[in-house]
Amino acid sequence: MGRQLPRADVLLAVMGGPHVNDTVTSAVRLAQALLERGATVQIWTCGHATGLTKQSLGGSKPRNLENWEYDYPSSAMLAKELLDSFPEQLTWYSCRFCTEERGSQPHIEQIRLRPPFKFTEHLDAVDNALFLGVC
Amino acid sequence: MDEYLLIESQGPWGGPGADRFVADAVRLRESGCPVSLFLVENGVTAALTGGAPVLHDLLKLGGQLWVDTFSLDHRALARERLLPGAQLVDMDRVAAKLLETGVRGVWH
Repeated sequence: MGRQLPRADVLLAVMGGPHVNDTVTSAVRLAQALLERGATVQIWTCGHATGLTKQSLGGSKPRNLENWEYDYPSSAMLAKELLDSFPEQLTWYSCRFCTEERGSQPHIEQIRLRPPFKFTEHLDAVDNALFLGVC
Repeated sequence: MDEYLLIESQGPWGGPGADRFVADAVRLRESGCPVSLFLVENGVTAALTGGAPVLHDLLKLGGQLWVDTFSLDHRALARERLLPGAQLVDMDRVAAKLLETGVRGVWH
């Protein structure tokens, strides 16, 4: 029997390369704003965006020479903190094909892998879907 | 009738797609749909005076023009340079709009 996806208010599909512009910042800002309003949110990462939640990133970014003492969280840590803060409202999925092709495994614990052909199920399970970074 | 929240992240210098996306906002408004156009990231540059002329059409037609405060400040762009009629908003307002019944969101 297939998995029944929980309903969600919004799906944020992060499809583009994560570090070519501010897409990830915008996606996280919007996700947090939605969650703080009590909404349920799904995040789906594809392509190189699957690398955002690699365990190997650790908790912090490399030190910034201009601000040596400051601890900048990695994208994986940002995702973990968001997931830990809203465990009942936020679900984070990552495309299995893109994850394997780009060596993004293992992800941090809370990330759920899904095959790409199941993506349409996510579209059916939400009221609004936003695609970030596809054009 | 559907209401639209259109989110433009690229701006006039990001390629022709940005202009066409904003033009879509105008066409939707012309057809009677309520439209809010939210400019974020480099998209905020379109709302500066001299940025994207088509935004005047959207405002004349009664469309909402929202500009992300964070993105504007991040780029050190002066708020005084915004087109009259543009509204500075934060992400909470965008989230609230997206959660309204009947609102369809599109990101470019």
